[in-house]
Amino acid sequence: MDYPITIAISIAIYTILAASYNLVLGYGGLSTVAHPIFFAVGAYTAGLMAVDFPEIPAFVNVIAGMGTAVVVSVLLAGSSLRVSGDYLLIASLGFQLGLLQLIKNLEFTGGPGGLSAIPSTLVGPMRGPAFLAICGAAAVACVFVVRAIVNGPYGRAISAMRDEELAFTALGRNAMSMKIAIFAIGCGMAGGAGGLYAYYFQYVSPDQFDVLASAAILTMVVLGGMGTVYGPVVGAVLLLAIPQAITFLQLPPSIMAPMQGIIFTLLVLAFLFLRPAGILGTKGRPI
Amino acid sequence: MFEPIILAQILWTGIATAAPFVLLTVGFALTLKVTGLWNFAQSGQMAIAFYTMFYALNGLGLPLFAAVALGVVFTAGAAYLIEVCGLQVLRDRQSGNLTFFIFTLILSEFIIYVITLVFGTEPETLYRSILSPIDIVGGIAISDWDKTGIGMTAIGLIALYVFMRYSKEGQFLTAVADNARLAELYGISARRAYRVVAIVAALFIVAAMYLIGSHGWIVPNSPLELVLSAVIGTLLGGIGRVFAAAWASIFLALIQSFSILFIGSRWQNLLLYGFLFATIILFPRGVRMPRFRWAR
Amino acid sequence: MTEILRVEGLQKRFGGIVVSDNVHLTIASGEILGLIGPNGAGKTSLFNLISGVLKPDAGSIFLNGNQIDGAPLYKRARMGIARTWQNMLLFRTMTVLDNLLIGPRDYPGESIARLTFDRAAVRTAEAAMKDRALGILTRMGLEQTAGSLVVDLPFGQQKLIGLARTLMNDGDLLLLDEPMAGVEGAAYETMQRIVRQEAEAGRAVCVVEHNVSFIRDLCSRAVFMAQGKILQDGTVEELISSSVLTELYFGV
Repeated sequence: MDYPITIAISIAIYTILAASYNLVLGYGGLSTVAHPIFFAVGAYTAGLMAVDFPEIPAFVNVIAGMGTAVVVSVLLAGSSLRVSGDYLLIASLGFQLGLLQLIKNLEFTGGPGGLSAIPSTLVGPMRGPAFLAICGAAAVACVFVVRAIVNGPYGRAISAMRDEELAFTALGRNAMSMKIAIFAIGCGMAGGAGGLYAYYFQYVSPDQFDVLASAAILTMVVLGGMGTVYGPVVGAVLLLAIPQAITFLQLPPSIMAPMQGIIFTLLVLAFLFLRPAGILGTKGRPI
Repeated sequence: MFEPIILAQILWTGIATAAPFVLLTVGFALTLKVTGLWNFAQSGQMAIAFYTMFYALNGLGLPLFAAVALGVVFTAGAAYLIEVCGLQVLRDRQSGNLTFFIFTLILSEFIIYVITLVFGTEPETLYRSILSPIDIVGGIAISDWDKTGIGMTAIGLIALYVFMRYSKEGQFLTAVADNARLAELYGISARRAYRVVAIVAALFIVAAMYLIGSHGWIVPNSPLELVLSAVIGTLLGGIGRVFAAAWASIFLALIQSFSILFIGSRWQNLLLYGFLFATIILFPRGVRMPRFRWAR
Repeated sequence: MTEILRVEGLQKRFGGIVVSDNVHLTIASGEILGLIGPNGAGKTSLFNLISGVLKPDAGSIFLNGNQIDGAPLYKRARMGIARTWQNMLLFRTMTVLDNLLIGPRDYPGESIARLTFDRAAVRTAEAAMKDRALGILTRMGLEQTAGSLVVDLPFGQQKLIGLARTLMNDGDLLLLDEPMAGVEGAAYETMQRIVRQEAEAGRAVCVVEHNVSFIRDLCSRAVFMAQGKILQDGTVEELISSSVLTELYFGV
């Protein structure tokens, strides 16, 4: 695999993740940390279908991944939102870890070792660029869908719901179904990204989707600017590009890996305290 | 298979193994009760506690009490700093729950990354051996570690109970837990309560990490899993109910231990999460959420 | 006059406190009913019960003859109950116009399905709603504030915007919770005028107020509540001249 192309594809996939997470978190105001689990659901669904049913075309599997992610997300949101928005935070964390544990214990998912040798539909030297084109288009589409949702009357309703949910409801809007809808859309997009991921990298394992992955996506959103349309794009680029910059320093891997982690976490902490609005955010937006 | 001796052994070992997790859960649940915060920064504190004691014992060759003292100083110190320079700042800004979550989680990760840089990723234990001398009492194997663990936990829980019920500081904690603004009207400082509970939790963390670290292997990432078991115990015990959380931890550990008789060991972890799942999806209303009433 | 709201035997308690004790009430179209009483009498709780924020322990509520006490908050709004809040609850990050545009009961732009597949309908509805909103603002003399952020307006105007938002619902029942609190001068006059106009248009209005002159100027009928009970129901003059009630109101 050509390295710069792989990076670019990763950026595209993570842009989808960050943008969809921002929709749920930054715009919808839904405190959830389980975004990677929907990424995982999409990846595993697409991957398993590709391995077990090779006749089915790839894009169907990716769509199936999205669909499964949507169903799972409605299950989570439907039950936990009934308690309160705050509860969703812990509930989503527990849900993510529980589901990952389940995946690790089941045979057909490949267990803790993961699902490998996912058949590739594209082969040959043009595989990389072709995937880049597909993932890039998907990323662009995702950002535009988010933009379309948050501008215009629906976005207005989302803002109102976030500002004063009680008044919003008393004006005739079903806040619960709106939250579930936003959640489902965001998680569905993450599921789609998962499908693309499974097909390109041809290997998925539970460790790729745990709490550290949650933190990574959260970092992208916070850094780029929560509640802005293009912030997640900036965040995804930064978070994937900075480690590459450090690679040039030729440090031994045992130093480099934690070093990258230290730089990210420091960046997030710095932004959290000094500029909570993120790079693209406007100051004064409540976080 | 179900002979009384075997059951008794499982019971004993189960409770002993649960001991450090009870300590962690209690620290976590107490913090949640008083501050209303799911303080994931405690996983960073767990890392600090273990590696400080590890370095003191193995790197500096200090005796045990000095190592533990050092552990307490660094962990409590970190807890205090986090509270004063981090959490209170966010509270003053009226930040939302998500900000606190991001802060506490990312801070823990930062601490863990630094520790990884310094100590590497090799599994470590406090002593060279994780085995401790065993007595056979009535046919049941009881190790020194078991006794230490259960003893420390029992003392810790009793001390906490006495502290919360009968000491002024402890009663202030309960007052702030119930209603911080109201407590302030009565002259009780919420900020002080938050700092006190940070230190109390740190003590429990040091005790727990000593137990875990002398009985098994720790890598820098271990605390992330440990804090999750604290979360599960807290959720199942009921938010705001510290001693119920302790019981929940014991209960969960026993379920896991006894389940060996029925299911393969690889499913044990899943059992834990199964409980969590069921609580979240089927009985969310059974979990009471605290109302966050920040005092300024 | 057609009956719009009927409340029968409404009961609600929180722990030891009874906020609603066997409350019976009717409001007809065109009526402006004043709801007065000391603090803690259960007036806002009654609004909460009628609008659907609270579920009653017992009793029934009828809107235009239909029983509604099973319906959740947002459905009752769609049936035509609109209310203001003591704390206004305006949407802080939005402009005046946007605040009003959240007002209408059912809005095509807020359904993802219709947004995607029927953009033309959304566009038409948006234009129509904007016209209505500007119309209401003009009636209040506030059309120039349309583009400002609500938080930038003076208090009295904010209260008027809160009322305007309620009017966008175009509902049959208006519940106004202390609309005049803290308001004086031009805003006061405007508020009175608008409420009178709405009643004349056929809506049923119920106003909770401590401002006795407002009640006297505006309300044909009033109801005195204390400790969750309705103690007297009659004309404003009757209530005001009752010494028993005055004592209750101002305390011992």
